[in-house]
Amino acid sequence: MNKNGAKISDIILRTENLGRTVPAESSSRVVIDSISFEFHRGKIYTVVGPSGSGKTSLLRLFNRLDEKSRGEVYYENRRIAEYAVTDLRRKIALAFQIPYLFPGTVASNLSYCCPDQTVPDDSSLARYLKLVGLEEELAGRDSEKLSVGQKQRVALARALVQEPDILLLDEPTSALDPGASRTIEELITNLNNELQLTIIMVTHNFRQALRLNGVSLVLVDGKLIESGDSKALFTNPENDLTRRFVKGELR
Amino acid sequence: MIETGFVEVAIAVSLMVLAVILSRWQRVGTEKELIIGTIRSFVQLVAVGYALEFIFDLENIFALLGTLMIMILIGSHTASRRAPGIPRVRMISFLAITAGSTVTLGLMLATGIIQAKAQYFIPLGGMTVGNSMNCSALVMERLHSEVTGNRLAVETALSLGKNWRQAVDTFFRKAVKAGMMSMLNFFKVVGIVTLPGAMTGMILAGAPPLKAVFIQIIVGYMITAAVTVTGIVTAHLTVRQMFTSADQLKI
Repeated sequence: MNKNGAKISDIILRTENLGRTVPAESSSRVVIDSISFEFHRGKIYTVVGPSGSGKTSLLRLFNRLDEKSRGEVYYENRRIAEYAVTDLRRKIALAFQIPYLFPGTVASNLSYCCPDQTVPDDSSLARYLKLVGLEEELAGRDSEKLSVGQKQRVALARALVQEPDILLLDEPTSALDPGASRTIEELITNLNNELQLTIIMVTHNFRQALRLNGVSLVLVDGKLIESGDSKALFTNPENDLTRRFVKGELR
Repeated sequence: MIETGFVEVAIAVSLMVLAVILSRWQRVGTEKELIIGTIRSFVQLVAVGYALEFIFDLENIFALLGTLMIMILIGSHTASRRAPGIPRVRMISFLAITAGSTVTLGLMLATGIIQAKAQYFIPLGGMTVGNSMNCSALVMERLHSEVTGNRLAVETALSLGKNWRQAVDTFFRKAVKAGMMSMLNFFKVVGIVTLPGAMTGMILAGAPPLKAVFIQIIVGYMITAAVTVTGIVTAHLTVRQMFTSADQLKI
């Protein structure tokens, strides 16, 4: 792969003046304001910013859980509206901040996306569990009897069963203690390495972005104010708002 | 049979006079409302009596259908007010109640169980529409609360590549069941705990009990069929309104 990502084929997802406005009490509110960005295949991206800056809203536009108001999103160089939305969501998988597991066993949750196929069979089931650092024996366990950390991993594995090209993660560690957060961070790095998966993760914690060591996008009030290599960006921010965010002045 | 002449009505009015005197003496402060209420209900009920006398003389099928249509319009308006937050709610309940009433009343007419006479058509229509109205309101209310209360479950299913119909399947069934519950409960206790209205009315008016029972059975099954059709149609139309054409939850 070209490290600078100059080739068009390296761009897996691209936004162009992307905007979303939602109706508010008396008028309307701009939640995403004219964002243009290129996401390259196989990299880790972190979307960072204070709460209410539009991070989650941005993710939800990528798999069309919400509809854009302006601009465009291109996946593999085609407008996302050109794909059947159910196919698009399998290719661009999303794991929510709070993992929701359907009633039933871990195994039934893993096969939720494709019940008409016999995929995953026992061996691939074990493989997916292993990918997220869970024991094979967990497959038969009732989904309600898992810890929050285990639920988060099962939700991740469930998203991976669809064999997505892009994995969207919405603050996957927000409900976890620091120790469990670190192991999830390692897991994310491993997934990126092993599966060559493009990962776009939302976090309010810039230190997490530093640890994941990818490319960061800083969002404030729905605007992309700065982006670039996480280490360089957060150790030496150019934008004043980024600087204030790093100092903890913006929450 | 209970006599219903001017003397009997006058005696009933004297009971209201007694109520006014009691209210004044005990300073309850409701005498003004009692007097207005007495006059008002007298005028309204007598007016309705004349209207029914007039309608009962109708043998014109169009006049009967027109009356039924007015009942459905009022019923759907009432049902829609109980389920705000659903787009096109009035249209949904109107179509659903019309479907339920048309199917059952139509079948009863076609098989000759009832004749196209106001005497049968209007009371049965009223009962059908009334019960369908309650069912429609319940189904919409329940669907709305289930889906908004389980947003994460619905959007998780969507994110895993399910379409809108699959994503709300559980809630759809719960809501239809809730709408039919009063009829299902009615079957359990009818004749043991409760004596239903139509039957009681017929017995009070002097009909032989067994005849009253058979009429009640016909009415009961007819209403149940109407309620079932209304519930299912309501649920289908309501669910459709909750999603955009791109399978995005919009409520």
